[in-house]
Amino acid sequence: MRSNRVGWLMLAPTIAILGIFGIVPFLYVLYVAFHQWNPFGANPYMIYNGADNFRRLVFDNEFLTSIAFTLKFAFFAVVSEVILGYLLAQLFMREFPGRGLFRTIHTLPLIVAPIVVGSVWRLMTTPSIGIIPYLLKSWFGYDLNIGRDATMAFALTVIMDIWHWTPLVTLTLLAALVSLPKEPFEQAQIDGANRWQIFWHVTLPMIRPAILATVFIRLMDALRTVDEVWMLTGGGPGAATRYLGLHIWKIVFPKTDYGYGSATSIIVLYLTLVMCWLLYVALVARRDQKRPS
Amino acid sequence: MEHMIDLDEADDEANTIVASPQRTGFLPIVTNWFDRVFVGIYLFVALELFWMRFLEQSIPLSVCHVLAIVLGVLIVWRG
Repeated sequence: MRSNRVGWLMLAPTIAILGIFGIVPFLYVLYVAFHQWNPFGANPYMIYNGADNFRRLVFDNEFLTSIAFTLKFAFFAVVSEVILGYLLAQLFMREFPGRGLFRTIHTLPLIVAPIVVGSVWRLMTTPSIGIIPYLLKSWFGYDLNIGRDATMAFALTVIMDIWHWTPLVTLTLLAALVSLPKEPFEQAQIDGANRWQIFWHVTLPMIRPAILATVFIRLMDALRTVDEVWMLTGGGPGAATRYLGLHIWKIVFPKTDYGYGSATSIIVLYLTLVMCWLLYVALVARRDQKRPS
Repeated sequence: MEHMIDLDEADDEANTIVASPQRTGFLPIVTNWFDRVFVGIYLFVALELFWMRFLEQSIPLSVCHVLAIVLGVLIVWRG
């Protein structure tokens, strides 16, 4: 009983912080989602409107389109980051001259604020002054203009995200790879397994928890990306890069429609949880069940 | 040597303690009560949104509330 009390006491600061900064704001957003509230409008008071915000949401084509764009963005970004991050982690496992320097340089994007990343990429891709359009024009004769070309704008947001967040994946997977025991690999080599078989049957199952944790973190981040994309494309051209975070930002700030923005936020949270849970069930829960006891 | 711990017995005991709240119902995975409440809430929200988008013009939303609650209870109870 005494140890329980000490345990709860030690957990208390974490629970308090989680409550104040996590649970209470969530409950408040949930409360606002059932109200019409425009604090800068003619009537600044909250008016209860039941499920009207959610009803409006399921018929909002801009919102539904932004879900599709966001899922596409998250898929391409996260898959590329995990594959590239794993390859880089494998590279950093080997000895080569300048490994420490390369590893430091490779990690630098992580310490740059997303808004700065967006600004830098904006400068690099602006047609008249950017280095990327200049090089593409002079090498391949390709005229890059992300203000006009929706596909290129989408691709550049994905590339920017990959550039920014692959180091995180690399570091996580590198930590996982470094901590693996040597014996299973030696045993597999003695048994005559080739490199692909060792990767598929030994390495991958052993680093699966690290990969899953990384995918969850990156997936949740990718689904709520705002500042980088806002700086690079502003959601355009048209609505080609208007991802969910940006969509909510536009509802809440320029339109000051807090009720509808809160309802949209709740649904985005819901979608994120559903996707993570389905991923967890598909990759962990069902697999663990099949394992012989 | 008389006081050696039987590791298999200890493992069995630990499995009994940890595994007791989990069970297999009609859901395709082993769940505890929290998982089932979670799935119930997921489906509740999904059903409500689907109903608002496609069925509310012909069938009132209160029917959906009842169905969603029944489904939620069924999942928590039998899932």
